[in-house]
Amino acid sequence: MTFTNASLDPQNLPALAEAPLEPVSPRLAPCQAVLRSLHWLLLTGLAALVPFMIADIAAWQPWPAVAVALLGASGIVLGWLEARRRAYGLRQHDLIYRRGLLVQSTQVLPLARLQHIETTSNPVERAFGLVRLVCFTAGGRGADMVLEGLTADRAAAIRQHLLARLESAEPEPTGADAP
Amino acid sequence: MSEASPLGERQGGELKWQRLSPWAVLLLLLSGSASLLRQHMPLVLGAGAGLALVERLGLRELALGGAVLLILAVLISLLYYRRFRYCCDGDVLIVQKGLLEHREFKVAARHVQSIVIRQPVYMRPFGLVLWEVETLAGEASRIALPGIRRERAEALERELRPPEQWPGVASESAPAAERQVVPCFAISGKAIVLHGLASRSIYLIAAMLSPLVRPLERWLHDRLPQLDLDTWMPGSPLLAVLVGLLAALTLLALLAILAAWWRFHGFVLLDAGERQIQRSGLFHRQEQTLSLARLQVVEWVQTGLGRLLGRGYLVCHQYGALGGDAGESRRFLVPGLSEAQGAALTAHFWQTYSRQSDSRQGAAGQPLRRVDPSYRRVLFLRYLLLLAGGAVLVLGVLIPLELSWPAWSGLAAVLPLLAAVLAHWRWIATGWAQEQGFLRVRRGVVGQRTGIFPMQHLISLRLQQSWLQRRRGVATLHLELANGRQTLPYLKEDDARRLADTLLFTAESAQLV
Repeated sequence: MTFTNASLDPQNLPALAEAPLEPVSPRLAPCQAVLRSLHWLLLTGLAALVPFMIADIAAWQPWPAVAVALLGASGIVLGWLEARRRAYGLRQHDLIYRRGLLVQSTQVLPLARLQHIETTSNPVERAFGLVRLVCFTAGGRGADMVLEGLTADRAAAIRQHLLARLESAEPEPTGADAP
Repeated sequence: MSEASPLGERQGGELKWQRLSPWAVLLLLLSGSASLLRQHMPLVLGAGAGLALVERLGLRELALGGAVLLILAVLISLLYYRRFRYCCDGDVLIVQKGLLEHREFKVAARHVQSIVIRQPVYMRPFGLVLWEVETLAGEASRIALPGIRRERAEALERELRPPEQWPGVASESAPAAERQVVPCFAISGKAIVLHGLASRSIYLIAAMLSPLVRPLERWLHDRLPQLDLDTWMPGSPLLAVLVGLLAALTLLALLAILAAWWRFHGFVLLDAGERQIQRSGLFHRQEQTLSLARLQVVEWVQTGLGRLLGRGYLVCHQYGALGGDAGESRRFLVPGLSEAQGAALTAHFWQTYSRQSDSRQGAAGQPLRRVDPSYRRVLFLRYLLLLAGGAVLVLGVLIPLELSWPAWSGLAAVLPLLAAVLAHWRWIATGWAQEQGFLRVRRGVVGQRTGIFPMQHLISLRLQQSWLQRRRGVATLHLELANGRQTLPYLKEDDARRLADTLLFTAESAQLV
């Protein structure tokens, strides 16, 4: 086993808080708004049109639909604001993605852990010229990081950079980290 | 099979394919039936679906249907056997199989993370085993050879040993193949009994038997009036209920002990240097090999009863663990340990960790740091809402009871007290310690799980803050590891950021050496 255990100086470590982050495309907010609107329209339609079996309750049917519509409207507004605050950062050894409005989270994926990368987009995202970058790590537990709101050019550039890192990495980075 | 190529290696440019043993057809049938029975037994027996089916169809028709199904199963097994073949091309195992869809799997030795050899009781007379290999992709990637000879399974295991275990690669002083296999832990009868009581089997068995409660209740309802109960039942109804509960608990404990005996009889952990081998099983023999180079997290687990009895078990996690805590029985597990034994074995698995901490304390190490007390208040509110909601649902809707005002007041007083106790226990149980290159994280309420792992084994991390946490200056750190997520809730923001920076630095710099 080869395990290094060098002493660290906690004061001089690269700080996550100081990492420069770049905002995602401003087109993400309207794109998210369209996607959320479609979602909530479907729910509001269901609440308004599904027939109630009991006549007494059926008289109140519009109100749940109004409540769902109001909930949807507030969700769309919050989603818009949240999408405007999203940002990502690519450092030499990791990828950072910050998201959230009320609950903010910053996710960091060390590039050494990267196994493969995918770019995906649904029709609405394509209409806005946006692409999602999906990063997978070892273990087969699904996607570990999904970067939403990248323009196609920017996603391609990041993908190229990550692929170059993957190719330059050792053939089997996961197995060599012996305890 | 020739002596020169026990694993069907390439000969004269052609791959020499090997097949399963012909007995594998019978064994496939038996294992398939056993698996079906195990999965559907609670439904068929418990819900009375089996009896209803017999009554509806008739015994003869059911037997006829069973015979047709059996013939179909035999044909499918024969076809499966015919299509199944494997061989070794250098250090790569190639398996071809599939009924309708033909699939080929290739497993290179450098991607292997663990190998398991199982021998159910019905395979013993034929000298066959079920051989399984798992790659770095995790439990989902497991490939099995169902029904090969033991010596061939052992030869395959040697062939697919990861490169760092090859002689001359692992260490200069003692190559793995030349190192002697040394027993480092053997379970005693008392430890098996205590493990049965202290493991989670007792809860699993209770859940498995729960569908039988309704038929048993019906049977008792029909039979009880015909029995002369006064002669042997306690006079007081309360006492009778207590005796009944005690009998049910005793039965569950007995079944849990039997389950532990079935699984861990003769458990022995062997140290072969880089490889750790465990053998166990009363009828269903199992041999599991763990590569220390692939080990990611060691977890010390104690249930509530286990803490009272001073017993617990170790789970060694590798890449791609599926099913969370529920799937841990499939992993490399060392059962029936006292706290001292658990600490010693943890130090054995993490040798660099053992050098840093006191050998007597081992996994105990330095005391754990508690998270911010605001976590306890948040937990109290969560538990209170949960308990109040549950009480309203049960007492108000499902079982409407006419309770007096004092009873409602008593309930209103007890719920916050219960919520406070649970919140306090969980807050006390949650802790972490950073010890040189290792991180130790504990969680739980009554039972506790402590994960110990080198910080360089981090896969990714997420620092999260709600608006309330931002106001209080705390943050939650989610660490993604090979076996799932470890969460450190409500750390002081400075601590959380410092720990995140240290973890990232350690994980990223370790890949560069």
